[in-house]
Amino acid sequence: MIECKTSKAISGMGHSMKRKEDGRFLHGQGNYVDDIKLPDMLYMDIVRSPYAYAKIKNIDSTAALAIPGVLAVITGKDLEQYNLHWMPTLMSDTQMVLPTDTVMYQAQEVCAVIATSRYAARDGREAVKVSYEVMKPVIDPYKAMDASAPVLRTDKEGKKDNHIWHWEAGQKERTEKIFAEAEVVVKEQMHIPRIHVSSIETCGCVADYHKVNNQLNMYMTTQAPHAIRTVIALVAGHVGLTEEKIRVISPDIGGGFGGKVPVYPGYVIAIAASFLIGQPVKWIEDRSENLQADSFARDYHITAEMAGTKDGKILATRFKILADHGYTDASANPSKFPTGMFSIGTGSYDYDTSFMECDAVYTNKPPGGVAYRCSFRVTEAVHAIERITDRFSLEIGKDPADVRMQNFIKKEDFPWKSPMGWEYDSGDYHAGLKLAMDTVDYWGLRKKQAEMRKEGKLMGIGISTFTEIVGAGPSKDFDILGIKMFDSAEIRVHPTGKAIARFGTKSQGQGHETTYAQIIAEVLGIPAENIQVEEGDTDTAPYGLGTYASRSTPTAGAAAAVAARKLKDKARKIAAYLLEVSEEDLEWEPGKFFVKGAPEKVKTIQEIVFASYTNFPQGMEAGFEATHYYDPPNLTFPSGAYICVVEVDKETGAIDVKRFVAIDDCGNIINPMIVQGQVHGGLTQGIAPAMYEELIYDEDGNILNGTLMDYLVPTAVESPSWETGHTVTPSPHHPIGAKGVGESPTVGAPPAIANAIVDALSPYGITHMEIPITPFKVWKALKEKGVV
Amino acid sequence: MTTNIAKGFVVNHPIAMVWENLTNPEKIVNCVPGASLTETVDENNYKGKVSLKFGPVKAGYDGLITFLERDAATHKMVLKGLGDDEKGKGNAEMNMTGILTEEADGQTNVNVSMDITITGMLAQFGSRLITDVSNTVFDQFVGNFKDQLDGKEAGDNSISAGSMMGSMVKGIFGGNKS
Repeated sequence: MIECKTSKAISGMGHSMKRKEDGRFLHGQGNYVDDIKLPDMLYMDIVRSPYAYAKIKNIDSTAALAIPGVLAVITGKDLEQYNLHWMPTLMSDTQMVLPTDTVMYQAQEVCAVIATSRYAARDGREAVKVSYEVMKPVIDPYKAMDASAPVLRTDKEGKKDNHIWHWEAGQKERTEKIFAEAEVVVKEQMHIPRIHVSSIETCGCVADYHKVNNQLNMYMTTQAPHAIRTVIALVAGHVGLTEEKIRVISPDIGGGFGGKVPVYPGYVIAIAASFLIGQPVKWIEDRSENLQADSFARDYHITAEMAGTKDGKILATRFKILADHGYTDASANPSKFPTGMFSIGTGSYDYDTSFMECDAVYTNKPPGGVAYRCSFRVTEAVHAIERITDRFSLEIGKDPADVRMQNFIKKEDFPWKSPMGWEYDSGDYHAGLKLAMDTVDYWGLRKKQAEMRKEGKLMGIGISTFTEIVGAGPSKDFDILGIKMFDSAEIRVHPTGKAIARFGTKSQGQGHETTYAQIIAEVLGIPAENIQVEEGDTDTAPYGLGTYASRSTPTAGAAAAVAARKLKDKARKIAAYLLEVSEEDLEWEPGKFFVKGAPEKVKTIQEIVFASYTNFPQGMEAGFEATHYYDPPNLTFPSGAYICVVEVDKETGAIDVKRFVAIDDCGNIINPMIVQGQVHGGLTQGIAPAMYEELIYDEDGNILNGTLMDYLVPTAVESPSWETGHTVTPSPHHPIGAKGVGESPTVGAPPAIANAIVDALSPYGITHMEIPITPFKVWKALKEKGVV
Repeated sequence: MTTNIAKGFVVNHPIAMVWENLTNPEKIVNCVPGASLTETVDENNYKGKVSLKFGPVKAGYDGLITFLERDAATHKMVLKGLGDDEKGKGNAEMNMTGILTEEADGQTNVNVSMDITITGMLAQFGSRLITDVSNTVFDQFVGNFKDQLDGKEAGDNSISAGSMMGSMVKGIFGGNKS
């Protein structure tokens, strides 16, 4: 049970308060971007390239313009006149808004049709005739590195190959020495497939430019409204759109998962169209456009190696990565970290030597590399370390649970410095795995497995004991396009003791309206239900870097706590004044100050707030407001111990997930119900790449599963019954000891599932399976081993 | 994506007649479902159209057909078809090799292999169907070709894979087949 310091009426931390936002969602009163309708609004649709690599010979818009309601067809050449045909990516690469001569991936934007209705815009899109000269694309990232491969980014001056950057970290020489001398060395090649966030709501916007005021109101699906405002100002400043004239409004968002961090060409074209025509322009992607053209996630080819002793001590790891970034590096990583937080890949284990390197390449695929429910490449790293740890256990013939227990960093060794330089804040990995093992009856399952194997049945148990790295981040290391990754909270308490709180983050379903209110309620004792939380309007909210990578609780949640503490300090002063005692004589109980030893002499927080407007001490600033910009001193390091049990049918390769136990440690818990909901969603998005999802391209660059008919997003039918639990190891540096949880399950689940399936197949000499592990892959592997 | 189909069949006609029908563009095009000739460029190059429906996806290709080889001595022909979708939504390429061999009793063995490569919207939406549809189209082509050799009126050479899929689905789920 989570201990609560506040009453249910106040509902501070630890209460499973029902989500305040759900009322409007359940009543169909949500306000999503496609609900926004403005007078004289026009509609935009986008013509997209059928080819992965082609020169545009001609765009014939005659037939489109003849359709009633079609007003304009905007091409790259049109935008070029205003120098709006290209834009910077978050990784300081460049990206076309619309092409002037060459298309670089299938489904790339070619031109845009503006019309008076959505139907006319779609008809216009179908009527635009584009002729192309098709070229042979570069699809395989390994071939892209060949000296003979055509150079794709000829727009970049002096570019002579498809290499983007090289990154390396760790102890290269020491790693090589340990690997050369180690008793046991294991190695596996792994592909973390290209996947898509597939949020229920696709991307879209309404760009509303007012010529007379030179004002742009931009309603859009973005996880980071302030950052977007600054980016628009940087890209469009030269046409007179300066930052004070730009208002970005991110209304209700139907799922983001990282996919709504980037700036997509569609947003920019809509702005340009509204700017040129002088009317609001709405653009809403359809499902296939979203899947085919928006930023992908993952796509890391990893060679993972582990060196250790025969009795199970891990000595060193080595990871070599090839990162397929598609046409441009449009990842959403902090500037200094081209591979994001991949360097968490040394895992939860106590050893001091590792070396990691990555080369990024261009191919003719859509750009991206978004942090899909993952703190910048943590999913890739965790898959590599957790899989290779199992491979190591298999090699030495020791149970993977024992190997983990043997190598875990001990509770008392925190804060712990990783070989890659991170300072893990806190953790109790032994307790987490023990709880997971007890919950699932691990040793009982191992016995059952031995019996089933005798009968020729395939049963597997997989463990994943991951360490996460979230809450980006401390300003000394973390920025996006130069802007430091702090976040903010502003609290205004009205005279009657009710409050509004605004944040630089933006909920997309995480429940911020509830959890932020609970944090403030915890500190100030004002009931959470009386605290209105508002995000997403850059004209009203304080500046922040937005919500992704489980950063909101570690940053904005901390800002809320610190701002509330500033107010509590003021409340104490006012209470002392009202009760005519010194501040030291006061004692706090959630919601009120009373005089020590005289509990009848009391002032409630509501009375104190009222006094701050009506009867405050001379010289004190009136009102009850506070703002805080929180710059975290360190990242937070949530962890988890997951155990998955599968049975595999030999004849069909079908995989049945029998049990899945997830023990998470996200530090102090704000709302257990919301955490559980986050974990359920995250686990389902973890089973997705493990068993179902992958964006598949053929050698011509055609996406072969560009609809949800073929791209398999798991539904309730595919989802097992999740068994969740937690250990609580507070973060020592976070104001409320919280760590963040949203992404943990997505990060931790895939290797647990893969390890379970490989464990089931291991009696037949199978040591690794590439995700997504489909029945066909299983059947094929068993057939190759002569089992079926 | 590329699909390969290789099939052989026997017809009850002498090799010279089969060869004449197979290598005559006007005659052969009548047998290709959904295809028509629009222009003769020269003796080896012809322009034509092919329309296909894959469920909801309609594809119409304007193409150039080129005889790369027509060797009457070895009875081997190689034909290349290149088509652009009429609306710029993709393209298709077909390389076909046909070899005739003489059988006993005036029969002729026809061996045809085709590589079909499609790019663009059809590849995106129809990739799972391409092999099945191509096989069906090929079988229909063979039927039409046989009919033509037999002197029968070539049947309706239009095809809709959508309606074909409909009948497949009905077949699977036991719907009313009438």
